[in-house]
Amino acid sequence: MVMALNLQVNLGGLVMANPVTDASGTFAAGREYADFVDVSRMGAVTTKGVSLHGWEGNDSPRIAETPSGMLNSIGLQNPGVAHLCEVDLPWIKSQGVPAIVNVSGHSLEEYVQVIEALEEDGTTDAYEINISCPNVDAGGLTFGTHVPSVTAVVSACREVAKRPMIVKLSPNVTDIAEIARAAEAAGADAISLINTLLGMAIDAKTRRPKLARVVGGLSGPAVKPVALRMVWQCHQAVKVPILGMGGIMTGEDAVEFMLAGATAVAVGTANFTNPHAENDVLDGIIAYCEQQGVEDVNELIGGLQC
Amino acid sequence: MCDCSAPKHFDEKARVLANEQIGPRLYKITLAAPKMACAIEPGQFVHMQLTGMEAHILRRPFSVYRTDRAAGSIEIIYQVVGEGTSFMTSYVPGIECALIGAMGHGWQPCEGKALIVGGGVGAAPLFLFAEKLAHESRPFEVVLGAQTESMLVTRADYAQLLGRDPILATDDGSVGYAGFCTEPVREELACGQYAAVYCCGPEPLMRAVAAIAAEAGVECFVSMEKRMACGVGACLSCVVETSAGKKRSCVDGPVFNAKDVVW
Repeated sequence: MVMALNLQVNLGGLVMANPVTDASGTFAAGREYADFVDVSRMGAVTTKGVSLHGWEGNDSPRIAETPSGMLNSIGLQNPGVAHLCEVDLPWIKSQGVPAIVNVSGHSLEEYVQVIEALEEDGTTDAYEINISCPNVDAGGLTFGTHVPSVTAVVSACREVAKRPMIVKLSPNVTDIAEIARAAEAAGADAISLINTLLGMAIDAKTRRPKLARVVGGLSGPAVKPVALRMVWQCHQAVKVPILGMGGIMTGEDAVEFMLAGATAVAVGTANFTNPHAENDVLDGIIAYCEQQGVEDVNELIGGLQC
Repeated sequence: MCDCSAPKHFDEKARVLANEQIGPRLYKITLAAPKMACAIEPGQFVHMQLTGMEAHILRRPFSVYRTDRAAGSIEIIYQVVGEGTSFMTSYVPGIECALIGAMGHGWQPCEGKALIVGGGVGAAPLFLFAEKLAHESRPFEVVLGAQTESMLVTRADYAQLLGRDPILATDDGSVGYAGFCTEPVREELACGQYAAVYCCGPEPLMRAVAAIAAEAGVECFVSMEKRMACGVGACLSCVVETSAGKKRSCVDGPVFNAKDVVW
């Protein structure tokens, strides 16, 4: 007899049919991948970061391949929250999955205005507050690396956000636990990590940086050990659930994040290598559970035996 | 058998049939990929995962040079420029590589005579288009430029379509016009008989050809190559500056009307 496997998880009030979503910015709002991915099998779709009136993003080249990873400096190019509400959210809803909207801003006021617009639209299921993008000059990372600014932006968002609010943390800090506790204390329902690690790449022959913006965010399998360590530290530091990400390529990678303390996982750079990655990671989690006799995927959360 | 009801974007495991050096740092790889052979339109590309290079996590976009629908194969001409293309030279028949395709918007025929301009390895993504024009009995001329004669690796195939040699230019003067192919392009356009120019090659060449075409009052289409990650329009890595804002070369291009490109 085939055992019934429970895959449903609760990420700070957001009920997901399974633990797998995409990492913001790697999947647009899902439609571009629909030829390869059964989006209806995702636990949620996490959108590309959205600002109030849209941003142009950075100059090219915007990416560089690095060993087992890549650098990007896209710069949160997006058409603005109105376009998201008109075009992207209806499509995500048509797939029968929850929409997590990644919220970005150059100022505290902009974060609040984006959330207000999304509350008015009403179709968003959860927010992911992006206080960790390394590729914009104002906002992003500058909010996410100091306790007082984390407290300020998360508190301000909390006042207007009526839906589950996930706060996305940067790994570019000395003490991730301190930042996680600040986000939790200011009202986060969940935290997500890691965003990309600030890095750079140089072309020795031309003596030029490989990215137009010189520095960018490192992602891919190269960052997975750092991400696992930080998820594990945060799991010990806070009570709110964790959306774990950073170099997840397979179902087994995802399981590792859950064992370290993640309730759900996001697949990012893997989408570029394998356009089926979102579904393959879920299938890998299911296969692992069947092999290991796991009846409820929630058993894995924080199950690391040290 | 050709099944043209395939979805627009799909993946296919391609098997290497041949991989031969055809010029200095220039190779031609032939892949068994029946679905792709059927689906590829002139100027479109495949996004290829390099088997054996798993630490290089990004796929590589390659324009398709020729297709053989009956045999179910595609040919790609590639130049060794980095670690990926360098490693590809080691591929032997039987090796399998994952492809996604058919990606991007390619070349569209014009009403009137077309001038095809291929600079270096940029001659390859225009060949299927020339073949289409020949098949539809549309008039066209071809200008090929390269550093030296041995790098004009598509010359014979274009000559077969034209029934004579294309117009040639080499930097070292080993054959044809001595210098960049922009001069022959200028001379051709001076005749005033062309409806459109189709150019692929290094960005400075495309920019120069676009300027010459604009001066002559002829439309010009160019194929923009930018560093690419997803290949499907999601990640916004490969954007091209245009008069209408940033466009994705993977899905909005790679072929753009040169007048829209902000160089």
